[in-house]
Formats: sequence, structure tokens, C-alpha cells
Amino acid sequence: MMLSDILAIALVASVCAGLMAGYPVALTLGGISLAFAALAHLAGVMDFGLIGALPQRIYGIMTNEVLLAIPLFVFMGVMLERSRIAEDLLEAMGRLFGSLTGGLGISVALVGTLLAAAKGVVGATTVTMGLITLPTMLRHGYDKRLAAGTVAATATLAQIMPPATVLVVLGDQLNNSYQSAQLAKGTFAPNSLSLGDLFAGAIIPALMLVGLYLLYLIAIAIWRPHLSPAIAPDGSARKGRALVRELSEALFAPVLLIVAVLGSILGGLATPTESAAIGAFGALLLTARKINRAGSWPILACALALVLILILRALHIEQSGRAIMGALAAVVAAGALFAADRVWRAGILTSVMTKTTQISAMIFTILIGATLFSLVFRGLGGDDLVHRGLGDLSGGPGAAILIVMVALFLLGFVMDVFEIVFVVVPIVAPVLLALPGISPVWLGIMIAINLQTSFMHPPLGPTLFYLRGVAPREISTMDIYLGIVPFVLIQLLALVLLWFVPSLATWLPSALYGH
Amino acid sequence: MLEKLANRIDWLNAAIGRTVAWLTLGIVFVGFAVVLMRYVFSAGSIWLQESILYGHAAIFMLAAAWTLAANGHVRVDIFYAKATPRTKAAVDVIGTLVLLLPFSITLFVLSMPYVMRSWAIMEGSREASGLPAVFLLKTMIPVFAILMALQGLAQLARAAIVLRQPR
Repeated sequence: MMLSDILAIALVASVCAGLMAGYPVALTLGGISLAFAALAHLAGVMDFGLIGALPQRIYGIMTNEVLLAIPLFVFMGVMLERSRIAEDLLEAMGRLFGSLTGGLGISVALVGTLLAAAKGVVGATTVTMGLITLPTMLRHGYDKRLAAGTVAATATLAQIMPPATVLVVLGDQLNNSYQSAQLAKGTFAPNSLSLGDLFAGAIIPALMLVGLYLLYLIAIAIWRPHLSPAIAPDGSARKGRALVRELSEALFAPVLLIVAVLGSILGGLATPTESAAIGAFGALLLTARKINRAGSWPILACALALVLILILRALHIEQSGRAIMGALAAVVAAGALFAADRVWRAGILTSVMTKTTQISAMIFTILIGATLFSLVFRGLGGDDLVHRGLGDLSGGPGAAILIVMVALFLLGFVMDVFEIVFVVVPIVAPVLLALPGISPVWLGIMIAINLQTSFMHPPLGPTLFYLRGVAPREISTMDIYLGIVPFVLIQLLALVLLWFVPSLATWLPSALYGH
Repeated sequence: MLEKLANRIDWLNAAIGRTVAWLTLGIVFVGFAVVLMRYVFSAGSIWLQESILYGHAAIFMLAAAWTLAANGHVRVDIFYAKATPRTKAAVDVIGTLVLLLPFSITLFVLSMPYVMRSWAIMEGSREASGLPAVFLLKTMIPVFAILMALQGLAQLARAAIVLRQPR
């Protein structure tokens, strides 16, 4: 083993150890990598000038059009969180299904799934879900462990339910790896992996997970009914038509938004960045209407104008109707300003902008630190080391992937998802994607579900900590740990299914895009 | 004295951060406008599209230091969360001296020639109708380094105050 190899291994080990101290991850990555670059330069195994590429790389991050979707999706998610649309939804669903055994738990799982798709950030989803649903479930006599497990598991769906932020960054990193793997094999017109491919690939596995969760909850309701009792009917509760109206109103907005965002990406109508802008814009309108139902006519006019624009466009009269189109666009603009003003007056806009800015800064600063890390790691020949290590395995591609999956699973305990995607994926993915018969979509979904599982795995899964932070006192940490176990088993089952039936992930993208 | 310095730096970064936070609303509106223009009026504007990219870059490059001040950067807090204020202050002192400051200073030094070259030709967009301000975009890199280093000094001052208190 050469000195540079030893330094490459020491770099990884030092980063892992350094992270434990608790200093911000982005700076730990950058600082330690810098120290190793200096050390390697002094030892004569790497030219320090290599890291001179850093400004150019950072400029590349700043002008990356795919990553531009991140602040827009974060804006949409934080806006929906602050609008409290989720609370309405849960209340209405609980009333509809609550009178059945297990009904409240199933409502929680369904609302959690919708919320996860709308938010795309696990921490935010766990906190909201925990705060709203845990006290309700406990009050109605739900088993503490079942309640905690349901919330923690559904909240982690935010990792893989498109348009999850994690999938955006994972898609970008995998695409880079895919291209370099093909170039290394001598394919000079490489295929690319689009974000649409990854989103489409995630849909069936994500829905499969939801289905498995629901089956588990139904099984509990049948065989252990005392764990998830029916809610005694409340005399004041609305029934029949009023209830259906309430539910459809609560459901309509978020579902419409998610369908618009996902539909426009998957249908090839809009790039992910464009549909993220549509989603963020829609979330703003919905929130403004939610603040005050009465006096929302400018927002309704704005929505109506948008619909009219789409109709006129479909009728191809945009040439003769330019003046009409212009007028409609003006109505849209006026409605948007009205909505922003109202959300601002309600004190929501400032906090949404602050949160969006800080979450984006957090993600991108990690990316900047990770960029220096990969420059140095590659400079030390670390990628060759990984290549040799994984290539020498006797078990072939299957063994290599299995080892990477186990490693990612363990890393998920100590590292944040963005660190793993920015640091580990660029190291291992080019090697794996160069193996015969490995589809990038399948690999991406395996990685995403694997990380999602590790996020809820006791004792270190971060979701469990988020939940601990907001759970009522009567739920002990041990209750959370034990409650999540059945869901972790479900996750592992899903991974096994995906392992043996890769078409679960690859069928939809190839059906949609034909490759 | 230390407290005053830390407050000044906090104030500066918060002022910058709150200002660029408005760009999040800006990119949502401009982004939506670009979609409308493209699909409805079949008109594209490279100028508008690039302005979204500029806004996006400014958000994270200029607000990273504010995020540091607000403790918004992810930490692995398995041990940190349970540590005493003194231990936390010690981690912050060491981290700032060994990690943040060397990283920021190196990035500043590395990026200056890169940015100077861009300024020398007043580098503009590669597209004919794009924004003629790539040199300003690139300038955000050393500015990021400076703001981070300054916020590091503020953290250092705050931690020093904690450490100087008698146990």
C-alpha cells in the first residue's frame, strides 16, 4: 500500500472522527480536507496546486441549473408547513376514518405520505407530524409504540417521495457518476440520467412502501384491535355531506399542487426547476387563501386567469389573442402580488423566506465542503483505491453493491443525508455504475430507500431524535425505538423486493421516456 | 470589547442575510414568469433565466455566514447536544481556528486570481443576450470566504466569553 493510499484512508477516517465533535459538517469537511492536502503536499504525494480548481468548482455549483430547483422546492415545503394545511387535512381524515378500528392510524399514515411529498425534508415532516398527530392518537387510546412508529416511518417517506429534495441532489450526483462511468468504458456519447427518470423511478417503490405500511396497520387493527381503537363518535362532529365537503376542501389544494408539480415533470412539460417554481407559486396562493377565505377574490381571479390562459393556449389562439393573453397575465401578476402581501402581513412570509434561505445555505455549504473533500480524495488516488477494493471482490457486481449498501446504511447513523449524497455517492457510484447491468435509476432508488431506512433505524436514526424532541413526555425513547422496529422490517422487505425485482424502479421511467 | 465586535459582525451578516432572503420570493416569481412566457407566449428570455441563477447563487453564497450565526448548519450532535456550554464553546473555538478560518482564508487566496481574471475582461455571459455580469457572480466566492471568516471571529469571541467565565 502506498503512502497516498494511507493518506486517503486517513482522510476518510479523520472526517468521520472529526464530525463527531459536533462542529458544523460543511466546515469540518472543508477544513480537514485542506489539512490533508497540505500534509500530502509536504509528503510529496500530491500537488497542493490541485485544489486551485476549487473556485472553478464552486462556480460550477452556483450555475448548476438542476440544483436551482432546491430553494424553490424548499420554499414550497416551508410555505405549506406554515400554512397549516396539514392540520386541516388530518382533522378531516380523522373524522372520516376515525370511527373504524385502526382508522385514525391509517389517516395519519395517508396524511403523512401527502405531507412528505409536499415537503421533501424529513426533519420538517417529522416535527409537524409529531406535534399534530401524536397527542391526538394517544388521547384516543392508541398504543404509544404503534403511534410513534407510524409517525416516524411515514415522515421518512419525505426522503423518497418525489419531489423530494434528496432525490434532486442524488439525481445530480448520480448523473455525474453515470457519465464518468461511461466515459471510462470508452462510450464517448454517454447517456444521461435526468431528474425526471429518478422521480418516475421513485414513484412505484414509494407507493409500495405506503401500501406495506397500510397493510401492517390494517393487520394490527384486525388481530390486535385494542392497540388502535375506534374513536367514539363525537356528537358535535359534522356528518355526511358536510364532512365530505370539508374533506374534499382540505384535500383538494395539496393534492392539486402535488399533481401539478409531479405531472408537469413526468409529462415532460416542464423541467424540474420550472415545476418547482410552479409549486412554490402555487403554495403561496394556497397559503394566502387559507389565511382568510373571505376576500380572496384576487387569488381566485389569479387562478382563473391561469386556467383561461391554459385553455386559450390549447385552442391555439395565442396569436390573434395576444391582447387577451396580456390582460390575463396582468391579472395573474396582480393576484400574485396580492397573495405575497397578505402572507407577508400575516407574518408568514418573513419566516418562510428566512427558513428557505438558511436551509439552502446549509445544503450548498455542505456541497462546497464536500467538493474540496472529493478534490483531495481523488488527488490522493482514493477513487482508484475504491475501484480496486470493489473490483477485487469475488462475488461480482452483487457483492460490490451489497457492501456499498451496508456501508451507506451504517454511515446513515452518523452522517446527514446531504453529506452522504455529496461525499460518498461520488466516490462509489462511478465504480458501481461501470459494473455490467446496473441501471442508474435502480441504484438511485436503492440508495434512497436504504438511507431512508437508516434514518429511522434505532438507536441513532435522526428521525427518532426529531420525534423525541416533539413527542409528549409519556412516550419514552424506548417506546419510539420499539415502535419503529416493524416499520424497519417493512423497509428491509421493500429493499429485498427491489433487489430481486429491479423493474419496480425501472419500469415507469422506461414506459414514460422509452429508455 | 469582544462582545461588541461579535455584535457588529452578527449585525452585518444578519443585515445581508435578511436582504438576500427576499431573493427567495424573487426567484419564485421570476421562475414562474419564465414558465408562463415560455409555454404561453413561446418567448424565452435568457436574461431573465440567468437572473434566477444569480439570485439563487446569491442566496446561499451570501447567507451562509448568517446561517452560521443562526446555528443553521448541520452538526452531528450525538455528543454535542448533551455537552456542557463550556465544552461546546471549546469545540467552537477549536473548530473555528483549525477548520473554518484556514478554509475561508485558503478559499479567499485561491479565488482572488480567478476573480481578478474575470474582472480584467469584465466577463459576461457566454450567451449573447445573457447578463453581462459573470465577474460579479464570481466575486461572490471571495465575499463568501470573507463573511464566513468574519462570522468565525464572532463565534470565537462568543466562545471566549463563555470560556473566560469562572466554572
